[in-house]
Amino acid sequence: MMSAGTPPEGTLDLTQRQVPCGTDIDDLLEQVAEGRATERDEHQSHCPHCQAALIELADVWAPVRQLAAQPIAAPSGILAAVMRHIDRITHDMWYTLHQAETGVIRVAARVIAATARQAALRVPGVRIAFGRSTAGARAAEADTREHRHPYAAAGVMGHTAVVDLALTVTHGESIEHVARQVQQRVIADLRDTLGLRHVAVNITVDDVLPPPASS
Amino acid sequence: MDTVDDGYLVRRARDGYLDAYEELVARHGARAYRVALRLLGNHHDAEDVTQEALIAAWQALPGFRADAAFSTWLYRIVTTRSLNRISRTRRTYPLDARSEPAAPSGGPTEQVERSAAADAVARAITTLPGPQRVALVLYQFEELSYADIAEVTGTSVPAVRSNLHRARRTLASLLRDWR
Repeated sequence: MMSAGTPPEGTLDLTQRQVPCGTDIDDLLEQVAEGRATERDEHQSHCPHCQAALIELADVWAPVRQLAAQPIAAPSGILAAVMRHIDRITHDMWYTLHQAETGVIRVAARVIAATARQAALRVPGVRIAFGRSTAGARAAEADTREHRHPYAAAGVMGHTAVVDLALTVTHGESIEHVARQVQQRVIADLRDTLGLRHVAVNITVDDVLPPPASS
Repeated sequence: MDTVDDGYLVRRARDGYLDAYEELVARHGARAYRVALRLLGNHHDAEDVTQEALIAAWQALPGFRADAAFSTWLYRIVTTRSLNRISRTRRTYPLDARSEPAAPSGGPTEQVERSAAADAVARAITTLPGPQRVALVLYQFEELSYADIAEVTGTSVPAVRSNLHRARRTLASLLRDWR
C-alpha cells in the first residue's frame, strides 16, 4: 500500500514549499513533468539544490512519462455498440430479406446505406456522402415495416432497395457527371456485394466544398 | 472524409445525418475511452462511461454551441460522468487497462519493472481527488492547455494550475514511497 510519508533521509522533502535556495518545488516539478528537466536556467546551472531536486524528481516522475507514452486503444466493438444504440433510438431497424431452403438471411438497412456511402466516396469529385431520407426511401420503408424516422438512408424490401444519398461535391467538378458516376458505382456495388436485384439510387447534391488541401 | 473538420460534421449531424455523427465517434471515441480509463482506473467502468457519454452527446447535439470545439465538449461530458461515477461508487480498482504494450526496449527484467511502475502510477492517480485527477489526466496524458482544461471543467486557469500542482506533489510523494 502506498502512502505519502516522511521522505528517506537525504532526499527531497516534498512537504516543503521550496528547496533551500528558495526555488519553488512546484516549479521544479512542473519543469520535470513537461520534459524540461535538463533545460536548466542560469540559476539552476550553478545551484546544487536545484540540480539535486531536478535529478531526483526526474527519476520519480519517469513512470508517469512511461505511462503517458503507452498507447491505449478503445476495446473493439465499443464504438460500434454506440452507433447500434443510437440506431435503436432512431428506429433504424428494417432489413432486406433473402429466403432460401437453407434459411433466412437478413441484411440491415443501415448496412446497405453504409455500403452505398462507401461506394459513393470512391467516386472522384465526391467529398462527403451521407445517407438521407427522401420520398422514395420513405415509401419503400413504409412498405416494409412502417418504421419511419427522419434520418433514413435506405428503404428496403426483399431484394429491392431505394438508397438516398446526400453528396458534397468538390467545387469545380461537373455535378451531374459526378452524380451519375455515383449512381452507377453504388448500384454495381449493392448488386455485387449484397445480391440485391433492383436498386434505385437517389442523389441530392446539397453542398460543395473546395478541393482537399493536399490535392 | 478526413479532410472535413469537426465543425462541418457537427453541423451535418445536427441536421440529422447519422453518418456524420458516426464519423465524429470514429474520430473521438478512442480518446474519450482513454480519458475515462485514466480517470476511473478500470476498463469496465471506462467502457460504460464512454458509451454513455457518446450517446448523451448525440442526444444533446441540438443544444451544442457551434462556437465550441466538439472535442472539448465531449471531454466535458466524459469527465463529468466519470466524476459522477467516482463520487457514486467511491472506490478504486487495480489497474487492468487494456493498454497495448509499449515498444519493447531493455531486457525482460527492465520491462517488468517498467510495467509495475506504470501500474503504480495508474493506481496512484485513482487516489487523487476528482478535480486534481481531471487536471492531471487532461494535462499530462492528453496534453490539453490550461485554458482548454478550464473550459472542460468550467473553472479558471489559476484553479487548474493549482489542482495540477497539488496532483503532481501527491503523485510524486506516492511514487517515491512506492519505489
